[in-house]
Amino acid sequence: MLLEVRDLRVEFRTRDGIAKAVNGVEYAVDAGQTLAVLGESGSGKSVTAQAIMGILDMPPGRITGGEILFKGRDLLKLKEDERRKVRGAEMAMIFQDALSALNPVLTVGDQLGEMFVVHRGMSKKDARAKAVELMDRVRIPAAKERVRDYPHQFSGGMRQRIMIAMALALEPSLIIADEPTTALDVTVQAQVMDLLAELRRELDMGLILITHDLGVVADVADRIAVMYAGRIVESAPVHDIYKAPAHPYTRGLLDSIPRLDQKGQELYAIKGLPPNLTKIPPGCAFHPRCPMARDVCRTDVPPLYEVTPSDGTRVSACHFWRECLDDRVDRHVNG
Amino acid sequence: MTESTATSTVEPILEVSGLVKHFPLTQGVLFKKQVGAVKAVDGVDFTLGAGETLGIVGESGCGKSTVARMLVNLERPTAGTIKYKGEDITKLSGRALKAVRRNIQMVFQDPYTSLNPRMTVGDIIGEPYDIHPEVAPKGDRRRRVQELLDVVGLNPEYVNRYPHQFSGGQRQRIGIARGLALRPEIIVADEPVSALDVSVQAQVINLLERLQGEFGLSYVFIAHDLSIVRHISDRVGVMYLGRIVEIGRDAEIYDHPTHPYTQALLSAVPVPDPEAREHRERIILFGDVPSPTNIPSGCRFRTRCWKAREKCEREVPSLAVPAEFRHGFGPAAHDSACHFAEEKQVVPPEEPLEEPPDDHAGGAV
Repeated sequence: MLLEVRDLRVEFRTRDGIAKAVNGVEYAVDAGQTLAVLGESGSGKSVTAQAIMGILDMPPGRITGGEILFKGRDLLKLKEDERRKVRGAEMAMIFQDALSALNPVLTVGDQLGEMFVVHRGMSKKDARAKAVELMDRVRIPAAKERVRDYPHQFSGGMRQRIMIAMALALEPSLIIADEPTTALDVTVQAQVMDLLAELRRELDMGLILITHDLGVVADVADRIAVMYAGRIVESAPVHDIYKAPAHPYTRGLLDSIPRLDQKGQELYAIKGLPPNLTKIPPGCAFHPRCPMARDVCRTDVPPLYEVTPSDGTRVSACHFWRECLDDRVDRHVNG
Repeated sequence: MTESTATSTVEPILEVSGLVKHFPLTQGVLFKKQVGAVKAVDGVDFTLGAGETLGIVGESGCGKSTVARMLVNLERPTAGTIKYKGEDITKLSGRALKAVRRNIQMVFQDPYTSLNPRMTVGDIIGEPYDIHPEVAPKGDRRRRVQELLDVVGLNPEYVNRYPHQFSGGQRQRIGIARGLALRPEIIVADEPVSALDVSVQAQVINLLERLQGEFGLSYVFIAHDLSIVRHISDRVGVMYLGRIVEIGRDAEIYDHPTHPYTQALLSAVPVPDPEAREHRERIILFGDVPSPTNIPSGCRFRTRCWKAREKCEREVPSLAVPAEFRHGFGPAAHDSACHFAEEKQVVPPEEPLEEPPDDHAGGAV
């Protein structure tokens, strides 16, 4: 396994008390695999990614437990200078908003080249040549001329390509992409996702794709981990989840999105709101919004139950995952 | 000849024709000289029928929000007319304009910035009554506001709370309540759910649909999310660089698109079905949308179009039923501004639900 996150816990001190952003997250990615981490805002998907990268703001954040095993080493036990060597060279991150992730007063060539100067000790001139090569690789037209341009001179899609180029620069074995296409238009979104998928295949990298878009996930992921209130509620091969979700939250999400290929009647809406992270409900965090909730859900935190998958592993954090699977079956039969 | 599909089949409540908005680009400080123009909206025609929902989709910068702002008179058009019940509202001013504006209200995209943080919810929803006191006499306002809160699914006791005490979805409900306060006939909703989480989006969309039935509203629904637009709209117009390139009933646009831009746009939308990814054809467009200050000659989509030929450079295609479909009555016979319009199915057809495979839920049996 390339990366394994085990029982990770992260808290934030806020004015309203301790916000438990991540409460025992478990997931794993293999080389050449794409794991989609799906969740709404506040589900802890980005905080987990920041903890893996080691870019969490501490304080107010604090990692209170767990392990992050990367190529067998626990990253949380490394010293900061060792960690810095891993970051960028062995794992890299692509952010949602390329305009604010890039430095506006440096040319893109300088920013791309910096990777090689810092990590590889190259000369400025060689680094510049490398920058052009990278821009070519992510298919930025006229890379040679544009290497001297500043970020604001590029369109949104082109800026996201530069972010990708920067992440790829040192050929890391793991890339974490946090909502890489959310800020882009659909036609450009398709270009960028295609590019990312192609480069992942070419370089046999592991990819963690953080998103809230069930459509994007279905298009590119091998596996999905669904997060809610800082926990994984369901994790499975992508086909299994869309065919028959084993958690009522996943089922609710799938039913609540309008489909391009269906006119559809009234949408199913999950009632209520995502929980306040300073006051996570006892028992199953989803129970106040769950149509299937019973007494046990209000008191006992569900463990990750093993569900029979089509291949690999599949887990669900629902006491009644069997019924949840069955419900889907019924709906299919009755139309 | 088939009738144009830019026109609604029901009696129109709103007729837009030749709508143009150019923002001048100037140079110089004291003696401003116009050096060009951002052609945000460059000739848009459509009608909206009473009780109907017209969806307008397009990518950022296509001018869809500027159209919305002109409909509610937040922006004066450079040219063109907007007729509300036969009367051109772009020429109105003073009292006559005020009366019309009461009937066309807007719901904004971002519920975080469109509500004044220093006003209570009661004041926000009741503010329209200050401008149109004839709708609700002073003593009656509080009751009206509480009714509105109830209508949009919020607790009427929340009138004295401030916007920051609400979640995004709840704030959007407040924005909708404000839009409804004057009992308008038309609501222009500019990306009303794009700032919301998936599970909350569905709640707000269902609310908008319920209100439409309850109050007999007509909607102009502007969004970049094609799935949501299909869900809510009766007719859909696709915009590109300031113009509508294709317009028709939802099945005509989604299942029988004839304009290459619509086809590319639809094919690029990720469908939440992993089975579809192998057998779906994707049309990936090259490059980016050209700048609206420098619109290509002829067909404005030609710089990204895989079908572009010489004619596209010379002649601006008009928005009408293309000649090859003109004599048919099928779903392909709708307005499409392309010289070489062809029908192409890009959205996978709705499949009958299959029998579930036996092996998928081993443990559950």
